Amino acid sequence: MNPLILTIILMTVFLGTMIVMASSHWLMIWIGFEMNLLAIIPILMKKYSPRAMEASTKYFLTQATASMLLMMAIIINLMHSGQWTITKVFNPTASIIMTLALAMKLGLTPFHFWVPEVTQGISLTSGLILLTWQKLAPMSILYQISPSINLNILLTMAVLSILVGGWGGLNQTQLRKIMAYSSIAHMGWMTAILVYNPTLTMLNMLIYIMMTLTMFMLFIHSSSTTTLSLSHTWNKAPLITTLILITLLSMGGLPPLSGFMPKWMIIQELTKNSSIILPTLMAIMALLNLYFYTRLTYSTSLTMFPSTNNMKMKWQFETKQITLLPPLIIASSLLLPLTPMLSILD
Amino acid sequence: MLKIIIPTIMLMPLTWLSKKNMIWINTTTYSLLISLISLSLLNQPNNNSLNFSLMFFSDPLSAPLLVLTTWLLPLMLMASQHHLSKEPLIRKKLYITMLAMLQTFLIMTFTATELISFYILFEATLVPTLIIITRWGNQTERLNAGLYFLFYTLVGSLPLLVALISIQNLTGSLNFLLIQYWNQALPDSWSNIFLWLACMMAFMVKMPLYGLHLWLPKAHVEAPIAGSMVLAAILLKLGGYGMLRITMMLNPQTNFMAYPFLMLSLWGMIMTSSICLRQTDLKSLIAYSSVSHMALVIVAVLIQTPWSYMGATALMIAHGLTSSMLFCLANSNYERTHSRTMILARGLQTLLPLMAAWWLLASLTNLALPPSINLIGELFVVMSSFSWSNITIILMGANITITALYSLYMLITTQRGKYTHHINSIKPSFTRENALMALHMTPLLLLSLNPKIILGFTY
Repeated sequence: MNPLILTIILMTVFLGTMIVMASSHWLMIWIGFEMNLLAIIPILMKKYSPRAMEASTKYFLTQATASMLLMMAIIINLMHSGQWTITKVFNPTASIIMTLALAMKLGLTPFHFWVPEVTQGISLTSGLILLTWQKLAPMSILYQISPSINLNILLTMAVLSILVGGWGGLNQTQLRKIMAYSSIAHMGWMTAILVYNPTLTMLNMLIYIMMTLTMFMLFIHSSSTTTLSLSHTWNKAPLITTLILITLLSMGGLPPLSGFMPKWMIIQELTKNSSIILPTLMAIMALLNLYFYTRLTYSTSLTMFPSTNNMKMKWQFETKQITLLPPLIIASSLLLPLTPMLSILD
Repeated sequence: MLKIIIPTIMLMPLTWLSKKNMIWINTTTYSLLISLISLSLLNQPNNNSLNFSLMFFSDPLSAPLLVLTTWLLPLMLMASQHHLSKEPLIRKKLYITMLAMLQTFLIMTFTATELISFYILFEATLVPTLIIITRWGNQTERLNAGLYFLFYTLVGSLPLLVALISIQNLTGSLNFLLIQYWNQALPDSWSNIFLWLACMMAFMVKMPLYGLHLWLPKAHVEAPIAGSMVLAAILLKLGGYGMLRITMMLNPQTNFMAYPFLMLSLWGMIMTSSICLRQTDLKSLIAYSSVSHMALVIVAVLIQTPWSYMGATALMIAHGLTSSMLFCLANSNYERTHSRTMILARGLQTLLPLMAAWWLLASLTNLALPPSINLIGELFVVMSSFSWSNITIILMGANITITALYSLYMLITTQRGKYTHHINSIKPSFTRENALMALHMTPLLLLSLNPKIILGFTY
């Protein structure tokens, strides 16, 4: 793409999210969402194939529906409270519709069906932007209306997302679909704690973004989109295999890596609020996620030479430059000892 | 305690910066030195625990386990030299780094005061062990073995996390030094029954309890020698140690909640001992014998009498040394014949007589011959279970008999009789292997002179 056009489009995506996060007027928030949606369509279509067109169309349709639902909720809120300021939403109907709309934008169950298919149809870099940056705007709105969200709906959606994210990823070999199901499951964890302690939602979002960024960067570096092509990493760059191992185990939530920190904090917060069965169930469902991450590590890093490789060697172009990989690796694996620093958030 | 932890962490830069011909020498020497430091912890003057800081402490239960852990690292390094000799240098260094990392986590687990810190480090020991088993194991079954190991332990221990956090909510602190003074009886309710289950299942899976033991034969058989040694000697004892610590908080539910697990353990020890008599795979036989010995420890911990605690602690240390030695002996067979089948390499006494002496000593301690500490452990457990219920003597007696039977079966099959003709060209025993066996056996024999130090905190 022409670099000037690419810059303008990326700036529009950025601006859209910033408008959503910084506004206090509901109409501006809706405008921000629309700006974000319209600008990200060309980015999803960078490859220009029928598959990418199908993915962008699906994304556009679901997000536009969600924006319209959000607009309806805003109007109902306007009717009942008489003002456009973003605060706790007092009308229960408006609150429920708003929650469902934002869940559709995030990809929570039962609105998760678009996430794997859209992520699979687009290139790795666009998938990266889709799964990390696009989650910031809806999550910021959920954070701001969190006192008024109906707990039953949100918790049901969260637990079902963790289940779907775990079970759905079990049969996948395509890396982008695996990352999509992992995103669904992590969104489930984030929204489960939203009503009790929204700060932990933000913590989970931060660590999730760092881990997903790391994973995508490592995939982009080896230009691999399937499990089979990932198994070639030890031929090309053996150090990357170790990094993939560490980051995948961190995403699975294994101590002592930093992916354990959000899960631990969320379980602690839920238990302190006297719900015991829910965190136990969530924790056990997260093990399904760990299973397919471990399976990925088996084909990538834990079975090395002299065992044979099942795939033909792909043509190797010049090494792509990965920006910021070392700090990202450190952030996604070694942050657990810094957990006591979370006390500054009180 | 930092005087042990920091040198162990520094073993990792030591391996990466050592020259090619010095890595084994450097790491083995320094890990032996670290184990000498930990010996000083065994000197506990009063009945109190040695409290080093708010985060680390050591009491008569954790000190012997800590000494065993630090003693085992140089032994693991010595045992791994042969099968790693053909690997590239970086992979050797990675292996030693994994072992050092595992050692650090184990030391911090045994000395942790805060129970959540204990939990995190307990889980953290899984990652290096998983990497050692799946990356350096020898057969394709190792992938399955790693998965079973990881997931059995994780499913058991995630409820433990929730239980620990809810206990912290109730009592305000999970610092072990405080809880032992704050202890009150748990009220009788359904949720406290689930709390008991959540706390104990993690350690039951780790021990392992008879019904949940499926991961153990897989993991022990598929792991390389250092992996088998550390699994058998230390990681199983993590379960025992955790149970000994946490049952203090779980009364009076233990009185009735323990029955199903006691039944499973009593029956399970007979079953696993019996299956040892029919094993063809040498490592699998030693793995099942580990399950059987650990079932005795579970019985001892659940009965909760002073003598049974003494027996449990002594049995854990004794079994750690014995089982690790048996795995080293099995590995010396494996390195020569590249097969774990027992009958393929028999009659070894004619070819390797000194190794036969070590086989004899290891088998004799495995069947709890007096005056070894294995006997002290088993005897205390048998006596305390007899006082708990007279009928258990039948099962315990049967178990001791069957243990003797399979230990002698293993000894006679591998050592006695006419040797098979295809092994008359095996290499003689290396000095390294003899040193390894001596270093296992010497603490075992010396401890029988002063068993007081391993008898735990109820002595």
